[in-house]
Amino acid sequence: MGLLDRIGVRSPWILHFDTGSCNGCDLEVWALLTPRYDVERFGGVNRANPKQADILLITGPVTKKCEDRLRNLYEQVPEPKLVMACGNCASTGAPFHNCYNVCQGVDKVIPVDVYVPGCAARPEALIDGLIKALSMWEEKARAAREVKG
Amino acid sequence: MVLLAIAIFIIGPLLVGLSMGLDRRITARLQNRRGPPLLQPFYDIAKLFSKRPLVLGDLQGMFAVFCLAFQAAAFGLFALGGDLVVAFFISSMGAVFLVLGAYSTPSPYSHLGANRELLALLAYEPVLFLVIIAVGVNGSFLAGEVSRDLLGRIPLALLALVPVLVILLEKSPYDIPAAHQELATGPYVEYSGPYLAVLELGRWYQLAFVYGIATLFVWGDSAITDVAFKLILPFALLFAAIVIDNITARLTRRRMVSFMLTAGVGLIAVNLVVSYLTGVI
Repeated sequence: MGLLDRIGVRSPWILHFDTGSCNGCDLEVWALLTPRYDVERFGGVNRANPKQADILLITGPVTKKCEDRLRNLYEQVPEPKLVMACGNCASTGAPFHNCYNVCQGVDKVIPVDVYVPGCAARPEALIDGLIKALSMWEEKARAAREVKG
Repeated sequence: MVLLAIAIFIIGPLLVGLSMGLDRRITARLQNRRGPPLLQPFYDIAKLFSKRPLVLGDLQGMFAVFCLAFQAAAFGLFALGGDLVVAFFISSMGAVFLVLGAYSTPSPYSHLGANRELLALLAYEPVLFLVIIAVGVNGSFLAGEVSRDLLGRIPLALLALVPVLVILLEKSPYDIPAAHQELATGPYVEYSGPYLAVLELGRWYQLAFVYGIATLFVWGDSAITDVAFKLILPFALLFAAIVIDNITARLTRRRMVSFMLTAGVGLIAVNLVVSYLTGVI
């Protein structure tokens, strides 16, 4: 299984979810798929399907309405899985601090592996974050198997 | 002979996987991107097998396994030099299991994808069947004993394989069942992890069978030129499909069915009628 995990790193299928972002970070996430940044170099494709995703790219401060949906999506992703909080809002809820209608960050709802700061997060930073997250893949895969066993 | 068949049975789908990688790479270059490594489809399959299995009921997983088993059996029969018609029906059965798997889940996206997959079957199966009939009437239905002059006798049948491949490779203008933008991969939408990998392998075997039929059209004088011709032709067909994919937008499912049942069937019919009138068959 170790070999499969090592190969698995090369094929991160992406699920992007907007939890009430201003669309700034969303545009930068989409920029990853364009010719300029082309994240498919690392095998990443946008599957738009939680059941086939490996890494979740979450933007926005998580509004209360989105809380259940985000949890639902996270639970539909089969193990091993990685979560990336893209942008200041997704990392800490930044400009919406103490706002009554947001959860203030993805990590208040689901566990987050990598935080990418920025308003909006630059595509270069997002690629860095993606590679950083993938470095945890093998460890995650091993942990997932131990839980199962 | 049996060893050769086993070698073809194993190498065939591997070459299809490689062609998928080449496809993604060429598509990326056409869009001015760098694209993934050539072995990306194999990485994807390996990754999918390492994911935790997740099925919605026993039937869904079983249909995926049956899909692979039937497609592999069809290609296996082809590799052994068996009857092309029988191999065609076994392969169709594998395609039907994909549809049944999609119907076995309660998801509307999956059902819509399954409906469209049935329409795609209705579009490409008659053409593929007529190609096999055309091969058969020009010599033998046995893959090991077909006429060596198929390209001279039925060139239009080879041309008719191009739209068939466009549908099977899920490419524009006929990427109707998967429809990435609206159905999120249609019949595959509820599959994940190892079962998705099994379905993907089934698809590789199905494509290997169709490419295999194309390889019957070219023959070389020596073993080396023979293998070279048989490798070059499928890649040429794939390249044609990629170019068509990148210069067209998706058409409606009605247009797909009507095009295949008129132009696709028509091409082979014209070829057979001309052959008959000139006394070739």
